[in-house]
Amino acid sequence: MVQLTINGKQIEVPEGTTVLRAAAQAGITIPTLCDHKELTPYGGCRLCIVEVQGFRVPIASCTLPATQGMVVSTETEALKKSRKFVLSMLFSERNHFCPFCQVSGGDCELQNAAYHEEMTHWPMQPGWNNYPVDSTHPYFVLDNNRCILCRRCVRACGELAGNFTLSVAERGAASIIIADTNVPLGESTCIKCGTCVQVCPTGALIDRTSAYQGNEAQITPVKSVCVGCSVGCSVNLLVRDNRLVRIEGDWTGPVNHGLLCEHGRYDPMTESRQRITSPLVRKNGQLEPVSWDEALGAVADKLKPLAGDAHTGVAAIASTRLPVETLSMFKELFAGEFKAHIVTSTEEGMTTAAVFAVAERMGAFEGKLDVLRTADLTLCLGADIVNSHMVAGFLIKRALPKGMRLVSINPQAGVLEDLADLALVNQPGSDLSLVEGLKAIIVKEGLGRTPLALPNAARLIEEAVRATGIPLEKLTQAARMLAGAISPVILFGKGITAQRSEHLIESLHSLAILVGAVERERAGLISMKGEANSTAAALLGLDAPFVLNGQQAVFAAIGDDYVSGRLVKRLVKAPYLVVQAAYQSKLTEQADVVLPVSTWAEQEGHYINLDGRVQKAEKVLTGPEAVRDSTAVLGEIAMRMNMPVRADWQQAIRERKPSMALN
Amino acid sequence: MKFHRSMVLVSMDADSLRKDAGAVYERFQQELSAFGLNDEIALSQIVEVGRHDILPMVIVYPEACAYGPVSSDDARRIVEEHLYKGRVVEDLLAPVKELSGRIGWLKSRKGAAPMEKRIVTRRAGRIDPENIEEYISEEGYQALAKALGTPAPQVMEELEKSGLQGRGGAGFPTGRKWRFVAGTKSPKKYVVCNADESEPGTFKDRVIIEGDPHSIIEAMAIAGYCVGADEGYIYVRGEYQLAQRRLERAIEQARAFGLLGKNIMDSGFNFNIHVHSGAGAYVCGEETALLESIEGKRGEPRARPPYPTTHGLWGKPTLVNNVETLANVPPIILNGAGWYRTFGTSSSTGTKAYTLLGNINFRGLIEVPMGITLREVIGIYGQGMKGGATFKLAQTGGSSGSIIPASLQDTPMDFESFRKAGVSLGSGALLVCDESTCVVDLAVALMKFFKFESCGKCTPCRVGTERALRILTGISQGKGKQADLDTLIALAAEMEFASNCGLGQTAAVPIRDTLKHFRAEVEAHILLGVCPSGVCEMSAELQTA
Repeated sequence: MVQLTINGKQIEVPEGTTVLRAAAQAGITIPTLCDHKELTPYGGCRLCIVEVQGFRVPIASCTLPATQGMVVSTETEALKKSRKFVLSMLFSERNHFCPFCQVSGGDCELQNAAYHEEMTHWPMQPGWNNYPVDSTHPYFVLDNNRCILCRRCVRACGELAGNFTLSVAERGAASIIIADTNVPLGESTCIKCGTCVQVCPTGALIDRTSAYQGNEAQITPVKSVCVGCSVGCSVNLLVRDNRLVRIEGDWTGPVNHGLLCEHGRYDPMTESRQRITSPLVRKNGQLEPVSWDEALGAVADKLKPLAGDAHTGVAAIASTRLPVETLSMFKELFAGEFKAHIVTSTEEGMTTAAVFAVAERMGAFEGKLDVLRTADLTLCLGADIVNSHMVAGFLIKRALPKGMRLVSINPQAGVLEDLADLALVNQPGSDLSLVEGLKAIIVKEGLGRTPLALPNAARLIEEAVRATGIPLEKLTQAARMLAGAISPVILFGKGITAQRSEHLIESLHSLAILVGAVERERAGLISMKGEANSTAAALLGLDAPFVLNGQQAVFAAIGDDYVSGRLVKRLVKAPYLVVQAAYQSKLTEQADVVLPVSTWAEQEGHYINLDGRVQKAEKVLTGPEAVRDSTAVLGEIAMRMNMPVRADWQQAIRERKPSMALN
Repeated sequence: MKFHRSMVLVSMDADSLRKDAGAVYERFQQELSAFGLNDEIALSQIVEVGRHDILPMVIVYPEACAYGPVSSDDARRIVEEHLYKGRVVEDLLAPVKELSGRIGWLKSRKGAAPMEKRIVTRRAGRIDPENIEEYISEEGYQALAKALGTPAPQVMEELEKSGLQGRGGAGFPTGRKWRFVAGTKSPKKYVVCNADESEPGTFKDRVIIEGDPHSIIEAMAIAGYCVGADEGYIYVRGEYQLAQRRLERAIEQARAFGLLGKNIMDSGFNFNIHVHSGAGAYVCGEETALLESIEGKRGEPRARPPYPTTHGLWGKPTLVNNVETLANVPPIILNGAGWYRTFGTSSSTGTKAYTLLGNINFRGLIEVPMGITLREVIGIYGQGMKGGATFKLAQTGGSSGSIIPASLQDTPMDFESFRKAGVSLGSGALLVCDESTCVVDLAVALMKFFKFESCGKCTPCRVGTERALRILTGISQGKGKQADLDTLIALAAEMEFASNCGLGQTAAVPIRDTLKHFRAEVEAHILLGVCPSGVCEMSAELQTA
């Protein structure tokens, strides 16, 4: 801890804290524009300069580490004058005529800073230069006329998303934000995560869907969780008049720390699927709108006789994008009351079954994504993380310039190839041989961190080379990199888990122990799972393969999920199909009864992400009149059949051992 | 090394090469073998020092005859007449009257120019820079040997006692900087030589590197030994192609001689040097922008503190010194601090290299002891104002230097006296202007440069230079208003107060100095619509008004 004095106030802060943060802790506001708490301090805007005893010139407080005994002043006349002057310079540099700007009136940090300095005008002539406006991007517009060159977007692109698309061209007064080698944003390497838009302090980067839809004062932000994939990013949903205006990453989010990907930020904003607004029942071959009473009655009449008929009664399948409340109710109803043999999820345990089966015996062995922060090597097996779990991909990509190495082994060519230090292609189905081979090489070369007896190492290596089709020297290189890392992390995806081989998972686990990925407190072995509630579905045991074999009816709880063609094809044969869904799809078209339910934003619910965080999604919107909560619909069906369903999901998810610590 | 009866030095710097010095050199090789003189006569390459009018230049020792400009046919005559028959080729001799820059140095060996003292340029032009043996024969690498045999703190103490101050412009005590870096605890440290000499009009570092590259290598090795670094970078201005080649060759030779690499002189000390080329940005001469550039990033100055001495290249403690500063180190180590203190003043010791340019009779490089006055420099080394004109002002240190009016020309040129007078010594350029120079025009030219070279990171510099240029251009075109002067003063004050690096902080100095010393002249542009020097094109409208 160091003690310093700011404006006569004694403050104690941890070593390494900047003066700007120290001042904030003490409740002293220092205006700033280029600084952002998630980004590396830059010291460019010069708004936050302070006077420090012993220094010849004032210093930017955002980059200045507090030191013992430092005496800082933030409100001298010279500093106040300077701040106004700097702001005047910024206002006059480009087009900053507030009344015409979409962020004016609360969302603009430049305007707010000017108000803070009690400015009513700026005394300099505007520059009257025109700068390019880039509107080629599908989700946002870059208007260089509103840019103050703070480089927050540039830093966010590189430091947070690890993508390095944005940069600055030219220099001095001619400086300008560009994408790649000055190509239009829409044609650039941008991965459309929108982090740059979220950090922009002015209206230079404006979101297409939310522009001119109101500012902070008129929009209610609600903390929630994204259900795009199993990463479970914390989001702020900005809602106005029962309309989703914008989605922003929550900087306090424990997993994503403010990051979102294209899917999380923009998919819900550009939803184009047709909403189902009324219950439908098939009459004379046609789906016709009916009342809830009629629809539920039809379902109850059809299903009630099938209760207790385990094998030829009902088969039930639920989306892993549904909240755990719904999934738990779904399980109680169909597995508990109907005693149905096939009660599973749309993922059918492809991403979880083997992992949870191993955890059943060994207890929790998976770690938290946070380990990536300290990892010096990441091994990705059977996972295209950058595309399948984009935000986890950002955590990897942004660590690469800081020295983390990446090894990717995948049966599909090209996976992570551009990023990885070593990208290998193995033969499909050869993963067990691969992992055993890697272990054998490490043991043979004496590189292991923990003792492991492998008497048949030579044979295992030979077998690995033969089965994987990877030359020995490449395998050896991978093994040495893995064994040479101080804190390695092993991530594996569907390519591994879909094989449903417990032996493979155990083998991976012992590799992780051998190289020190898993040791003592540290657990650097994580499976990526699939959708938002993969983990919850697995905890509820909804992870069996979905095989129809003479069942008379199928109940599919889809919620607002997308329906795979594979599922549609398999359900063509279902004699009677009940679908509860929010949107029309090929599946609802072939259903006998369709029950319209709410989307993720229209109902409260919990989600358990890939590393075991139980997070709550809030209800922020009210759905169409005839649409009902997906849990409630299941409850009503149960009621109509006089089945007393107890819906204690917190109890239900504790009936099975988790593969990671839940929190 | 062989000894020869005569020595022929051919200027092979960038300018000479453009004028076909390569062919001249080859012709000398051919002719010397044709006359069978190879064993008696040594042929070497040198850099030219400030004589653009007589390139390519050839100097023959021991007579110290300077020929120039020399064509390849002249080469044959020089070999036949001078070297074979022993007769000086009178009609090819460079005009004696103008031989002052480099030849001033030749004379000084006979004691003709009393106040000149060459330390950092003592070898430039005298030895073949591409031959390490010639460097070694001139006390080369002796200082390194001496340093390696002495405990590092003692070496640094000697350096501190010598009073050497950084020659890049700021004048920070070199010994103290070394001690800062030596005092940090880090397994990895770096020594960086700042050879990004990009102040307009300054070329002292180029002459030192092109003429005596080994002196920098030796100094960096000594620095590495003292501060505990095993790796060095020389960041060379992109345009200095020849200097880069010379350095790379010198490093190669030093490595071959075991003077770089592992276990240098059996001392257990390891040191390696890389040459890194700049890419033409002025701001990369600022030490932290230079480090960013070496790291492969955009050349923007970092925020300080932390300083490079603790968080430098790749976050490691780094010593950054200017070329001229480093070139002073070996002679100090070799001859002692006491010897060094005999040059210059008590507060600013040693010599300073200046590049003279402007309206004077001799333009080129001089190295003189600290503390001589501007009047002496112009009168003795500049050989007076051109055409007997009246001295009006001098601009020091390229663009970020000060404007020195005639009233200050008797101020001793050293760090302390200049600081007291409110001006700065800068990097070593002396642009001497007579009464035909318009200060507004000069300020416009300087501000154009700064606007173009500002990196754009911080607001005051990026916007300030652009704004200042607009206003100054307006004044030079007769569109100025009296209120513009207040705006300029406010801009200048703000840029100095709030800018991130030296560029922004000093970019406003020309404005400040102009308005301080020549306000009346500027006001004449505004109020009378007249340029007293007749330089600015005033708008017709205002001229008639």
